[in-house]
Amino acid sequence: MTGNSDIPVLRVDDLHITVHHGAATAVQGVSLNVRPGEVVGLVGESGSGKTLTCRAALGVLPPGCDISQGTIEFGGTDVTNLSRREWERIHGSDMGAVFQDPASYLNPSLTVGSQVAEVLRAKRGLSRKQARERTAELLSAVGLHQPERVYHQIPSELSGGMLQRIMIAIAISCDPRLLIADEATTALDVTIQAEIIELIRDLRDRLDLAVLFVSHDLAVIRELCDRVVVFYAGQVVESGTVEEIIGHPAHPYTQALLRVASVGDFRRRELQVIGGQPPQVGEHVTGCQFAPRCHAAIDACRTAAMPLHAEGEGHLVRCNRAGDENLAAEIAAKTAREAAEVEAEVGGELAAR
Amino acid sequence: MTATRVTETASDSATTAPLLQIESVDVVLGRGWRAATILSGISLRVWPGEIVGLVGETGSGKTTLARTVVGLIRPKRGRVVFDGKDISASRGRERRAQRRTGHIQFVFQDPLRSLDPDMTIAQIVGEGLAIRGGLGSGEIARRVTAAAEKVGLDARLLSRTPGQISGGQRQRVSIARALAADPRLLICDEPVSALDASNRNYVLRLLGQLRDSLSLPIMIISHDLSSLAGIADRIVVLYRGRVVEDGPVGEVFASPRHPYTALLMASAPSVRHERELSVHQLRRTAADPAPPAGPGACVFAARCPFAAAICATAPERIVVTPAVASASFGRSVACHRHDEWPALASDRARPSASAQQ
Repeated sequence: MTGNSDIPVLRVDDLHITVHHGAATAVQGVSLNVRPGEVVGLVGESGSGKTLTCRAALGVLPPGCDISQGTIEFGGTDVTNLSRREWERIHGSDMGAVFQDPASYLNPSLTVGSQVAEVLRAKRGLSRKQARERTAELLSAVGLHQPERVYHQIPSELSGGMLQRIMIAIAISCDPRLLIADEATTALDVTIQAEIIELIRDLRDRLDLAVLFVSHDLAVIRELCDRVVVFYAGQVVESGTVEEIIGHPAHPYTQALLRVASVGDFRRRELQVIGGQPPQVGEHVTGCQFAPRCHAAIDACRTAAMPLHAEGEGHLVRCNRAGDENLAAEIAAKTAREAAEVEAEVGGELAAR
Repeated sequence: MTATRVTETASDSATTAPLLQIESVDVVLGRGWRAATILSGISLRVWPGEIVGLVGETGSGKTTLARTVVGLIRPKRGRVVFDGKDISASRGRERRAQRRTGHIQFVFQDPLRSLDPDMTIAQIVGEGLAIRGGLGSGEIARRVTAAAEKVGLDARLLSRTPGQISGGQRQRVSIARALAADPRLLICDEPVSALDASNRNYVLRLLGQLRDSLSLPIMIISHDLSSLAGIADRIVVLYRGRVVEDGPVGEVFASPRHPYTALLMASAPSVRHERELSVHQLRRTAADPAPPAGPGACVFAARCPFAAAICATAPERIVVTPAVASASFGRSVACHRHDEWPALASDRARPSASAQQ
């Protein structure tokens, strides 16, 4: 491994983000690194702060949201308090982004080719002819067949998968060092999703790209990522290599996420749910944020906040009971009991009708 | 009116009659040069108390089929028979009367867009009942509360608006709205695609319980096979407006007979990696011989790595297992090479690294 690849492209340190003009803190002390050639996955329920973290890293926080504490470094320089003009230089050239709904990021009345070329002309200062040639190369690089034809089509003539490829072409057009993909495959068909995942993996290999990939589906994360960061209520509750997280999840929340994820063997089995709701933004939970929903919570979990501690190499966990061998058995027993209760309750209600 | 046509899927010796019968339905949308055939020759049946999973990608005609069943689209050919009555032929007053019985209810994909943001949950759930007429406000309120209870919605949420509740709760409101009308058939269009994994499983489990306790037949449209595997009794796979495979969920997933079904299964993301066939074994590569093309060719030929000369004609649905009474719903597949391709697929090399397409 060269020395260069150890320097993270993106380094987020102790990030706090407030929402509603400082009324509440939605992201509390998130730290993460993305190195070149590495895909880091952010996973968690909706509202857990993954998207806010992403948007802070992109310098596009929504109005009313501010970074109140912590730093974001991109390629070794602090970008936490950049002005809009300074961000402008980084956007699209050093950093590319892809979002869930590609159609809403493209102009419906311009050909997709001209929209890719526009970026190249604005960011790279290419001539019309150069931009056109480079666009054709990019379109075939993202796996679009017949790039000359696609160049002259408008967004409504293309499918969602093709539009997402166009967005990726725009994102990588200026050879970025970091690609941020926020739920980039969520709205796509499974067959197309598999192709897009393959494309991102392939681009990572060819361009040594650092990728920050956000998804609520652990199964998708499993397919693509090298490392996983699990978010819960604005905090990182567990992080580690994908093998560690999927193979030996230490946090009860990660274990719950894994239970509800698609297994992919298509066998009929009891569908699991995570009981309860995550705390609302601004709601104060003393101690561990997950304790109210946790089947293994003990008194110590409800009194003091939990720090992240190391649980093996490169594996961080925020849990009192991580590594406790009775943990899994205890949770399984409680889950089964709860499932039976729910079943009886709903069944009884329906029978009583 | 023509006499009852015999369809290829099942014999009519079934002890229970199917509640819904879709018979050789063709749907054409648009007119003149714009006309596009969205569905062609669709036949399928739904028996009481079963969950039918309708799978296919965007543009395969799943939603059009559901809209045809509820009468929002009129088929060009074929008929839709609900409870022994041809509902695709009725017009005007008769049609309106049928709709107001509320026997067929629809749950839409995106609850945020299908629920009125200015109405409270109680108003939304009760609106259909109020329009139908004949019920007092007390009775409506009682039914609203009962429907909310059935889907596990807290009664305190009834006075909120859709913007004030979570995504999972909103989808439960959509289901409660459908249940309030006491439906005999529930059609859910992508009920879980906008939800995270935990909420997805919650809604699916709820649908499963409704089938078990009310023996309510449900048609679930989804592009996600693994979520259907958990609850559906039968799977119907659509590709470009045709049924390519139809059979009991266990059998279809244990041994898919159509290459498209196999491709869907191989593409589904999973937390474990133990697949019989990889997507690369089921995707066309540049090395494969050119597929037969033409208006009459099999719809999947252009993407099928196993397409041969015979595929230049569209395959009929071949009955693999005939339906025997209501215990077995039979199995059919529309592929000329349904016996040969699994062996061909396992012979195709598994690329070791992530190969370039």
